[in-house]
Amino acid sequence: MLFSELYGAYYNAVAAILKKAAEKPLTKEEMRQTVEKYAFGESFVTIEAALRNGDWPLLGEDGRSVLKNAPEMPLTLLQKRWLKAISLDPRVKLFGDCIPDFPEVEPLFTGEDYEVFDRYSDGDDYSDEGYIGRFRLILRAIGERTPLRFEVKNRTGAVSRFTAMPEYLEYSEKDDKFRLMTSGCRYGSVVNLGRIVSCEECFGELRGSPPRERRRAEETLVFEITDERKALERVLMHFAHFEKEAERIGEKTYRVSLRYDKDDETELVIRVLSFGPFLRVVSPQSFVNLIRERLMMQKKYGL
Amino acid sequence: MPYSELIKNFSRVRDYMREFYVYGFKSRDEYTKKSARSYDDEKRRMESLLGDRMRFRRTAEGKNVFLSIDTRVSRRNPLYKAWKAKSFTDGDITLHFLLLDLLASEKSGLSVPEITDRLSGVFPDSARVFDESTVRKKLKEYEAEGLVRTEKSGKSLLYSLSCPNDLAPCADMLGFFSEVSPCGVIGSFLLDKTDAGEGSFAFKHHYITGALDSGIAAELFAAMREKRSVILENANRKNDSVAKIVAVPLKIMCSAQSGRQYLMAFVPRFRRITSFRLDNILSVTAGEECERFDEYRAALAGMRKNMWGISTQSRGGDRLEHVEFTVRYGKNEPYIRQRLEREKRCGTVEDIDGNTAKFSADVFDASEMIPWIRTFLCRITEIHFSDPDTEKRFLDDLHAMYGLYGLGEEADGNAVQ
Repeated sequence: MLFSELYGAYYNAVAAILKKAAEKPLTKEEMRQTVEKYAFGESFVTIEAALRNGDWPLLGEDGRSVLKNAPEMPLTLLQKRWLKAISLDPRVKLFGDCIPDFPEVEPLFTGEDYEVFDRYSDGDDYSDEGYIGRFRLILRAIGERTPLRFEVKNRTGAVSRFTAMPEYLEYSEKDDKFRLMTSGCRYGSVVNLGRIVSCEECFGELRGSPPRERRRAEETLVFEITDERKALERVLMHFAHFEKEAERIGEKTYRVSLRYDKDDETELVIRVLSFGPFLRVVSPQSFVNLIRERLMMQKKYGL
Repeated sequence: MPYSELIKNFSRVRDYMREFYVYGFKSRDEYTKKSARSYDDEKRRMESLLGDRMRFRRTAEGKNVFLSIDTRVSRRNPLYKAWKAKSFTDGDITLHFLLLDLLASEKSGLSVPEITDRLSGVFPDSARVFDESTVRKKLKEYEAEGLVRTEKSGKSLLYSLSCPNDLAPCADMLGFFSEVSPCGVIGSFLLDKTDAGEGSFAFKHHYITGALDSGIAAELFAAMREKRSVILENANRKNDSVAKIVAVPLKIMCSAQSGRQYLMAFVPRFRRITSFRLDNILSVTAGEECERFDEYRAALAGMRKNMWGISTQSRGGDRLEHVEFTVRYGKNEPYIRQRLEREKRCGTVEDIDGNTAKFSADVFDASEMIPWIRTFLCRITEIHFSDPDTEKRFLDDLHAMYGLYGLGEEADGNAVQ
C-alpha cells in the first residue's frame, strides 16, 4: 500500500532520534533539529511529547533508546517492485549497476504499461557507451567538485574547448535531453550533454569563486485568460511548473503572472501562441511585440 | 476530532493540494461550501507540510491561498510530503520499532508466542501490552508488505526480518528517477533511507502534480500486470457527479507538455477504447481477470499510429481526419524543418523546396493537433483539415488572435486610410 505510515515522515524522524539516542540522550534542541530535518512544521511538538510522556515508550527514563539495534527497516515489496521497474528503463544504464537484484520480484510496471506520448524524438542516446561514460564522469565530478575540460561540438559542427566546474545536471522530459550547468567559464554556462565530444578531469584551479547555482535572467510575464473551451484549466496546467500567481479579474477572465528565464523566451512565445485567442499577453511590452511580429508575418500569408 | 498534522485518508489532501497549486485564485468562501473547518484544517496542514511555498494574497473576495513552486529550482517534488503524512496509533509506532528491533537481534525465526513474550519483557511495568492477536496481525501485515518473511518449523510459523539492502550507492539514481518515473514517490521513500542531500539533478519543464495520483497509478499498474479489469470511480467535474465504470486498463499515457496522465482502457459498456484522466479517478477496485486483455492491448497499439494525443474518436463522424499544412522557413532556419520532424508524433514531413516543407497526417481527432500547429504561426502558408468545422474554427481563432493584438480587419482599414 502506497499511503502507509511505514514510509511516513514521523517514522523516519523517530528512527533518526532513536539512532542518535542509542549513545546518549538528546537535548530538546537536538531533537527539534532532527524532527525538522525529517518531518513537518508542526511535528516536533507531537513527537517530542509522545516520546517524553511515554505514549511511544521508545526512550528509557534516562532518555536513551530502549532498542538494542540501530533502527533499520528492510525494503518493502512495493519498493522492490518499483526498483525492478526502474531497472528496465533505458536511462538506468547512466547510473551503473547500483540497483540490487530482486530475481523473485515482478516489476511494478514496464514500458508496455506506461508511455510519455509527446516527448520529442531526438533525445539523447542513452545506449551510446561514450555518452554513458561521459555522464558518469560528470556526475562524479559534480559530487567531488572537480573541474572538467570539455570538447563540445556546436550546431555548425565546430569544436570548442574549455574548462569549467560542473554544478548540476538538468533534465527535460519533453526534450529527453540532459544539460550540464557549469560555472567558472567565460564562454557560457550551459552545455548540452549530447554535444560533448569528450571531457576529462582537470585538477587545476579555476579562477574565481564559482556560484553553486546558475543565475537566471528572470522576467515576469503577465497574461489574461478567457475561460472558453476549458482554456483556464489547460493554461494553468500547462504553465504549472513556473512560479506563478493567478487571480480572477472578471466572470470568465483571469490574470496570471509567471516568472520565466529570459533565455527561454522564444520557447515561451510559441507556448503562448499555442493557446490561440484564449490567452492575451499584457506585459512586458517586448513580449507582446514578439507575439505581434509573428502574427503580422502570419497574416501576410493570407490566412 | 481535534486537528492533526497527519491524515487517515489521502483523497482530501489530494484535492486541496491540486487546487492550491494549479489554480490558486479561489477564495476561502469557494472552498467552504461543504465545510469551513475542513478548509481551515487542510490549509493549516499544507502550511505545515510545504512551509514557505504556501503564499497568501488579499483580494476583494477575501484571502486567497496558493502554492507557488518553480519546479526548475526545487530539486525534490515537495508534493511527495503528503504521501508521508499517514496517521497511525501509539500502538502502531511502538510495536513497529520494538518488533523490528527484536527480529533484528534474532538470526533464526521466532514464533508469535515467543515474540509476544519477549515484547512484554521490554516494559515489565508498563501499561503498554501487546497481546498475541495484535502481534500476529501486525506480523501478517508486515509479511504482506515484505518486511518480514516466514518459514514453517513443525507446527509453528517462524518470523524473521527480510534482508536489508544498502541504498547509499543508488542515491543519484534515486534522485533522478524519483522525479521522472511513474510512482516516483516510492523513489522518494527510498531516498529518505539515504543521507542524500539536494542531489545533482534539476528538472526543466517539470510537472509535479502527477505525484498526487501515484496511488491511483499504482493500483492501475497492479491490475495491468495481472491483466484484470477494474471498477473506476470517475469524477465528472462539470456536473459534480461520480460514475462507476467497469474498464480494462491497458496503458497509462503521460504528457510531458502538460503533466496530465491518462488511463487508456477498454470499456465493455461503450465497446471501445477510451481515455480517463488520472486526476479524475477517485478510486480503483480490482476486478476479474480479463481473457481478452492481450487482444485489447494489441488493438490500442494498432491505433497509436493515428493518435496525436489520447483521443480515439473523431469529432466529425469520420473514422480518421486528415490534416496538412505547409511551413516556410529561411535559409538560415533549418531548425524549423527539424522541429517538424522531432516534434511530430505521427504523420509525415515532405520537402516542397529548399525552404518549404509540408506536414500531413491522418488522425482520430485533428483538433488535438491545433495547439502544436499554432506554434508554427508566422510561417504557415497553407492549411487544410478534412473536417470543415475544424478548419473554420482554426481560421476563426487565428483572426481572433489578429484582433487581440490590434492586427484585425479594423487595423487593415486604418492602414488603407
